[in-house]
Amino acid sequence: MSAVTATISEDDMDAVQAKPAQRDDGAKLGFRLTLPAQILVLFIAVFPLLMQLYISLTDWSPLSGLGWWSAWSMWNSFANYTDLAADARFWSALKRTAIVMIVCVPVEFLLGLALATLFADEFPGKRIFYSILLMPMMVVPAVAGYMFFMLFQSGGPVNDILSSLTGSPVTIAWLSDPTLALFAVMVADIWQWTPLMFLILLAGLVGVPEDQIKAATLLGANPWQRFVTIVLPKMKTIIIIALAIRVIENFKIFDTLYIMTGGGPGVATETISVYIYKLTTQDLIWGYVAAIALAILIVLSIAAVFAMKRMARTAEMPA
Amino acid sequence: MADIVFRNVTKRYGKTLAVDDASFTVNDNEFFCFFGPPLSGKSTILRLVLGLEAPDTGEILIGGKPVNAVSPAERNVAMVFQNLALFPHMSALDNVRFPLVERGVAELQIKKRVADVAAKLHIGHILHKPPAQLSGGERQRVAIARALVRDPNAYLMDDPISALDARLREETRVELKRIQRELGKTLIYVTHDQEEAMSVADRIAILENGKIRQIGAPAEIYDRPASTYVARLLGSPMMNILKSVRGAGGVEAAEGTIRIADKAAPTDAVEIGLRPEDIKVGPWVDGTSSRPARVFEVEPLGGYTVVTLAAGQARLRALLRGQPDIRPDAMVAISCEPARVHYFGQSGGALAR
Amino acid sequence: MSAIHLQNLVKKFGDFTALKTMDLAIADGEFMALLGPSGCGKSTTMNMIAGMEEPTGGKILFGERDMAGVPMGRRGVGFVFQNYAIFTHMTVRQNLGYGPRMRGAARAEIDRRVGAIAEMLQLTPLLDRKADRLSVNILQRVAIGRSAIMEPAIFLLDEPLSNVDAAFRAVMRTELKQLQRQFKQTMVYVTHDQLEAMTMADRIAVMDHGVLQQVGTPLEVYNNPANLFIARFIGAPGMNLLKGWLAESDRGLIVDLGPLGATPPLPDDIAASVRRARGEVFYGFRPEQVTLVQRGPGLSMPVTFVERIGARTIVHLGEGESAVKAVFDNDVGLAIGQTAILAPAAQSVRIFDAATGRAMKAD
Repeated sequence: MSAVTATISEDDMDAVQAKPAQRDDGAKLGFRLTLPAQILVLFIAVFPLLMQLYISLTDWSPLSGLGWWSAWSMWNSFANYTDLAADARFWSALKRTAIVMIVCVPVEFLLGLALATLFADEFPGKRIFYSILLMPMMVVPAVAGYMFFMLFQSGGPVNDILSSLTGSPVTIAWLSDPTLALFAVMVADIWQWTPLMFLILLAGLVGVPEDQIKAATLLGANPWQRFVTIVLPKMKTIIIIALAIRVIENFKIFDTLYIMTGGGPGVATETISVYIYKLTTQDLIWGYVAAIALAILIVLSIAAVFAMKRMARTAEMPA
Repeated sequence: MADIVFRNVTKRYGKTLAVDDASFTVNDNEFFCFFGPPLSGKSTILRLVLGLEAPDTGEILIGGKPVNAVSPAERNVAMVFQNLALFPHMSALDNVRFPLVERGVAELQIKKRVADVAAKLHIGHILHKPPAQLSGGERQRVAIARALVRDPNAYLMDDPISALDARLREETRVELKRIQRELGKTLIYVTHDQEEAMSVADRIAILENGKIRQIGAPAEIYDRPASTYVARLLGSPMMNILKSVRGAGGVEAAEGTIRIADKAAPTDAVEIGLRPEDIKVGPWVDGTSSRPARVFEVEPLGGYTVVTLAAGQARLRALLRGQPDIRPDAMVAISCEPARVHYFGQSGGALAR
Repeated sequence: MSAIHLQNLVKKFGDFTALKTMDLAIADGEFMALLGPSGCGKSTTMNMIAGMEEPTGGKILFGERDMAGVPMGRRGVGFVFQNYAIFTHMTVRQNLGYGPRMRGAARAEIDRRVGAIAEMLQLTPLLDRKADRLSVNILQRVAIGRSAIMEPAIFLLDEPLSNVDAAFRAVMRTELKQLQRQFKQTMVYVTHDQLEAMTMADRIAVMDHGVLQQVGTPLEVYNNPANLFIARFIGAPGMNLLKGWLAESDRGLIVDLGPLGATPPLPDDIAASVRRARGEVFYGFRPEQVTLVQRGPGLSMPVTFVERIGARTIVHLGEGESAVKAVFDNDVGLAIGQTAILAPAAQSVRIFDAATGRAMKAD
C-alpha cells in the first residue's frame, strides 16, 4: 500500500505521464472476474446447441449403433426440416398447444389480476389466504397430474360434486373424451399456475405510486377509472413480463398433462412436448427430434426477444 | 503551495459541452465558490479537480504541477459529500482515521494527525460517539475532519447545505466559513444559492453553460457585474433590467417613467440595470419624470418591503426598508442615483460610465 | 361557499398526537399559509381538509357543510402535492385534461379548457410531451394546472415550491398569487419557509408541535409575535432574544441584561400593565430595527462575523447566550473584533415572559 503523498515528486510525474490514467479499472476487473462464469455458461448453452444443430441435419438414431459424433455418416442435409413442414401430426400438436395457451394464459392472467387487486388492501385472514393461494405452485407437477387424474375419473370427485349440484347423477368420462380431456388439462394448468401470475402481478400492483392514485381520486376518478387510467398503465412492464413468462412456459406444458392423459385419448391432448417425448422415447428418431426442438427454440426465442424489446421500451419510462 | 489552476479546460459528454474553455486560479487558502444555475458545469469542474474525469483539452495544475494524468488518489484532494457519507457502523474517531488506516500510515502518525484535526475542528470530545448520536453540525465537522486528516492540498464541497431548512442553512454557512478561516486550507465550494455564495466565498466564479463569465470577490461581482446574465444571478429580488434610450442629459427607460440625469452615461448603452434596493420610490410630483409608475403589488417581509411597480410596459421591483405606507394602485415617482445605475451594451456586456 | 372552518380539530396516530385541538377560520377567497417546521402538524391539517385523513376529533366545515364522511373525490378541492404526483405515463395534455375527462366532459370542451389553462401557465408548447422527462419547474406548473382546470373553490398546496430552485421559486410565487387573485379561490398553502408565507399569504397560521401558535397577517405576526417561537421563526434572521430580568430603577421599570451591562427601559405601554417588577424575561428586537450609535445607552458588543449579502450586510455580534445579529446597509463599515453599540428602535422592542414564552402585552 502506498504511503500518504503530500506532493508528487518530479520522478513520479515522469513515470505517471508515460501512461494514461486507468479510468476504467472497474470495468476491466469486472470482466476478468466474471470470465470463468462466462466460459461456463458459453459451454453449457452454446455447445449443446451446436450439437443439436449438427444432429438435426442427419438421420441419426441411437439404434444405429454409432456414437453421435459419427452422425455425419447419416447426413441428410435439411430433409428433417422439410419433413417437419409436411408432418401433419406435428402441426396438429402445435395447434393443440396453441389452443391450450390461448385459453390458459389469459384466464390465469385475469384470475391472477383479480386476486392481486383483492390483496392490495387489508382484509381479515389475509395472511392465511395468501399461503393457501400459493400452495398449488408448490405441488410437484407430476403429483398435480396424478391428483387431477383422480379428480376427473368418471367415478371421481368432480362428477360427484356436479351430481349433487344438478340433482341427477353425472358420469362424464372426462379423460376419455377428446374435447373434455383437453378441457381437464387446461383446468389443471390454470389451477397450478394462477398463483404465479398472482404473485408477479401483486408485485407490480404494489409498485404503482400511491400519490398518483391519490391525485387521481382527488380529481374525481372512481375506482374503475383509477384502475384503467393509472394502475394498469403503470403495471405495463410487469404485465408484459408475466405474460411472456407464462406463454413460454405454457407452450412447453408437459408433466401434469402427460401424467393425466398421456397425450390421449389417442392424440386428443398431444401437445408439442408430448409429441417430442413420444418421438424420442418410442420412435427414437433423434435426428428428427433435434430438428423439431431447434425449430421451436427459434420460434420461442423470437417471441422472447420481441417481448424483451417491448419491456425495454416501456421500462425506460420511470414510474 | 496548493493553488489549483485550470488552463483552457474543456470537457464534453457526448454532444454536450459541460465545461467550455475554462481558465482560472484558485489561490492557496482561499474559499473559492463556483456558482451558477443547474447544469452550468459546476459539478463537472469539481470532478475534474478531483480527477474523477479527465479533461478533453487543456491543463489542470495542482501546486504548480500538471495533474491531467494523475489519479484521484494521488492528487491529494479531498471531498466532503452532501450526505456526508459517514460510516454508520464506526465511531467518529474511526471515521476520521479511516483514510490514513487504509493507506497503511504508521499508527503514531495517525494519532498525531487525528489529534491535530480534531483540535482544529473542536470535535475531540465527541470522537468516541457513532455518527447516529451526533448532531447535524457535529457530523458535518467529523466529515470535514475525515477529509482533512490526509492533509490534502484542497478540499471540495458540492452543495452541502441545500437540503437543510432555512434557519439551519443560515447557521451552517457561518460555521463553514469560520472553519475554513481557522484551518487555512483551500476550499472549493459549489452552490446554486446566491445568498450562500456571497456569504461564504472569498471569490466566486460565475458559470453559464460551462463557460466562466466572471471571477471576483462577491462584493465586486455584485457591485460591478460583467453582464446582464451575471447581474441577474446575484441579488434577491433580481436586478431590474430595462431597455433604455438616450434622453435629455442622460438616459430614459420604461417609456419615460425613469429618468436618469447622467452625463457620463455611455453612448452605446441599450439597457440599464437597477438594483431593487437602489430604486427610490416617492410620491409623484409633476416634473420629476414624464410619467408616474403604478404600484402593482406590495409584499411585506417585515424588515423590508418588496414593491412591484408597473412602469410603462415593464415591471420593476423595489426593495424598501421597513414597512412604509404604500398601497397598491398608488401612483409614484421612481428615481435612482446615477452612480448606482448599471449600463449594458448590445451583447449584454457591462459598460463603464 | 368556500370558507373553511376547523373546529376543535384533533388528529392522533396511535399514541402520537399530531394535531392538538385546532380552531381556525379561513375566509372565502383568502390565501392562508400554514407555516411551521417539519412535524408541526401543518401537512396533517391539510390532508384532513382534503379528505385524505379522517380527523380523530372535531369538525371540518366548508361554508355551512360538515365534511365528515365526504370522500376526497367529492370535496371539490384542488390539491398540489409536494412531489407533484404527475401522471408520468401520460402527456402534459392528458394530465391537464384528466379531471374533466373523468367527469365525462365532451372532447371539444376538454380541449378548450386545457388550451386555456396551458396558455395561462405557459405550457402550450409542451402539451404533447410525455410528462416523465420534464424539468421540475414545468412539472410544478402542470400540477397546478391539473388542479386549477377543475376550478375548485378551495385550492390546497403542500409545500409546492420546496423542490424548485431558488430563482424559479420567486417566479412561481408571483404566478401562484396571481392565479389566486384571478380565480378568487380560497387557498391553503403549507410551507416551512417563512419568506414564502410572508410574501404570499393574506394571513399566516403559525404552528409548532401540533399546536396553533398564532394567526394573523404577515405584518401582525412579524410586528407582534405572540411568543418566543414565533419571534424566532419569522424574519430572516429571526428576532434577537436576550435574557434578562425585570427590575425597578430610578428611570422606571427596566430590563437588566446582566453581563451585557445594559439596562434598557421597558416600553411604556407594557410598563403600565406590569403587576410585579420581578421575573425573568426575554428582551427582543429585530435585527433590521437597530441603529449604530457612537456612545450613549445601548448594547455594547464585539463583532464576531460579517456577512455581506447583496443588498444588505448581516453583522454577528456577541457570543453564546448573548449572540445577536443586526442588519445594515452595505456601507456600515464594521470589521471583526470591533466593538459596536447597538440601539434597538424603541417602538419595536418586545418583551417575553421567560417562564411561559408568551409576549407581554399592554392591557
